[in-house]
Amino acid sequence: MDSENSACGNPNPNPTLGPSKLMLAFRFLRALSLVHRTTPASSRTCRGRRIERAAYASMAYSAGTGRGWSRAVLRRLHHRARRRAVAPRRLSTTAGNRAEALRQLVPGGAGMDYCTLLEETADYIKCLSMQVELMQGIVDSSSSYGP
Amino acid sequence: MEKEGFWGLQWQSTGAKLPPELNSGPAASDQLPQCFLHLNWKQPMAHDADFESALSSLVSSPCSNPPASADGSGIGELIGRLGGICNSNDISPSYRYRSADASCYGTPLNSPPKLNLSVMDHRQQGRGGPPMPVNRVPGPHLGPLSAEPGFEDGAARLSCFAGRSSGSFAGQFGFLEPGNLSEASRSESPKAGFGSCVGVGQNRSERPAHLETEMRSTIGVSSTAEKSELGNGPEESSLSHRMTAEASSLKGIADNNSGKWKTAAKRKGREAPLSSSATNPPANMTEEENSDAKRCKSADRNGGAKNAAVKPKTEQNGDPGHREGKDNDHKPPEPPKDYIHVRARRGQATDAHSLAERVRREKISKRMKFLQDLVPGCNKVTGKAVMLDEIINYVQSLQRQVEFLSMKLTTLNPQMDVSMENFLPKDMYQSRGLMPQPVYPAEIGTVLSYAHQPQTIALQSVMTSGLEAQFSLNSLQSSLRQSQSMQHATTDAYTDAPSQLGGLWEDDLHSVAQTGFGQNHGQTHTGHMKIEL
Repeated sequence: MDSENSACGNPNPNPTLGPSKLMLAFRFLRALSLVHRTTPASSRTCRGRRIERAAYASMAYSAGTGRGWSRAVLRRLHHRARRRAVAPRRLSTTAGNRAEALRQLVPGGAGMDYCTLLEETADYIKCLSMQVELMQGIVDSSSSYGP
Repeated sequence: MEKEGFWGLQWQSTGAKLPPELNSGPAASDQLPQCFLHLNWKQPMAHDADFESALSSLVSSPCSNPPASADGSGIGELIGRLGGICNSNDISPSYRYRSADASCYGTPLNSPPKLNLSVMDHRQQGRGGPPMPVNRVPGPHLGPLSAEPGFEDGAARLSCFAGRSSGSFAGQFGFLEPGNLSEASRSESPKAGFGSCVGVGQNRSERPAHLETEMRSTIGVSSTAEKSELGNGPEESSLSHRMTAEASSLKGIADNNSGKWKTAAKRKGREAPLSSSATNPPANMTEEENSDAKRCKSADRNGGAKNAAVKPKTEQNGDPGHREGKDNDHKPPEPPKDYIHVRARRGQATDAHSLAERVRREKISKRMKFLQDLVPGCNKVTGKAVMLDEIINYVQSLQRQVEFLSMKLTTLNPQMDVSMENFLPKDMYQSRGLMPQPVYPAEIGTVLSYAHQPQTIALQSVMTSGLEAQFSLNSLQSSLRQSQSMQHATTDAYTDAPSQLGGLWEDDLHSVAQTGFGQNHGQTHTGHMKIEL
């Protein structure tokens, strides 16, 4: 999301502690509202992809630039924004080597050694689960009382 | 006992030969190793009692006549022999030796039994005798022994140590590689060695350590007397390093071995300075160290495995040889090296590469454990492969969930636009460096009143949903405070909200107050409410 990319100032100052859930929620909700505001309701898939991108962007911003995967995500988002490409699909092909498969899954994992890859995976899993939790909460709360 | 008898015989015979051999110089030195070999070969594991008796006999024989100069060499030889014999045994015999030696020579040599191993190996290899059953002693390389002049120097040094060292040495000296001693005797100028080592020895109070290391180095490797501190302590290692350095520089032989010794010494860990001093020697030393380190496993008696390994590693980044830190050589089948593995710290390889690998492996296993806690349902899984599969599946499922939820969110909450801006308190913006969002107090009032009715339910749902409790509570808290301090016409709306929610969240909100949110945020409340709708 362009708005997400440009609007965020200093990311998480404590990368070691992990992203703050509050910040994550804030960023994501802000981006979500922006998406809803800017995209026409007809293009559902387009909006869906934008929301997904917003989710990853908010995750990456919350995690800060201290993490390799967050940097890779932001890099990819910036490039996509410039080139107006579709949200990247993270396909995990069945790699013979498990490490290879993991590298494909974790953003920025291709250029890491195995040790760093494991560390990044742990942080990535943490952030991903937080994001999923947040989104699930939003969906649950809004679906219960929304129209 | 058979051993005893054999030993007695051998010892006697060798002992008898010693004096003439010692005095004869290089020629004799060759013979000595042979004697030693005989001794060692047949007695892989000498029992303490036997040892002592053998030692005493051995010791006494050269005692009788060696001249001053030969004394050192003779003693060295004996010690080497003793060391070789004692190699198989552990430290205990070494101590016994001490007493035996002391009686005869009064030279305190405290070389740990580890040295013996190296010596033994030398012997074996050179003579092609039966391999010592001692685990520590890998295929010895006696062949190079004779080739190394440096070895002699090392041996000489060792012997001089023996002479100069105080009583502590006595027992241990025997453990020093007998090979060294024999070499020393062979060398034409044991005295020179003495002189040099004397000077060196003076510096350290731990003579035994130095001597030991020296011995080890000479024996273990083809003869560069690397002084790895095989285990006697930091001082020893430093001294030994120096000695080895000198020896190696002199000889330039057995580069591998000396390197190992050095590394072993460094590994001892304590001596970061030692290793640095040891690094003085020429580059070949480092290589030697690597090889020596393998041999000097024994050095690390203190067992500071991790620390030692890490310390030398960090300190000697540029010196791969010193990485070893902890090597321990429990595996009897030593890799094909030319040196004898002295008993090293347990559980760690002595090689620089293996040390680095070990550290890396530990890092990886640590991270895998952390991942195991993170991924649900991975506790029962054992093995890296299965764990990796689980992790991959989990990441894939999380990503699919994000995709699915984002699709779901496309149709949801069209009403979040306004509230989003007021979502977080201004405090948060400032503290986190975010862009401040415009505040619309009017909106807040309207939103609050609008969301008045369903707010309890909505907020509750939010609480129960996956949303972060802290998140909602904070926003609510800030909004509540704001609402309470507000004096607008819409105060009633504000008050309504707190009154409605207060019962529910008051305690929680107060408990969450530490987040540091200011007291002037009312927007979050409204924003929050809106979302629920």
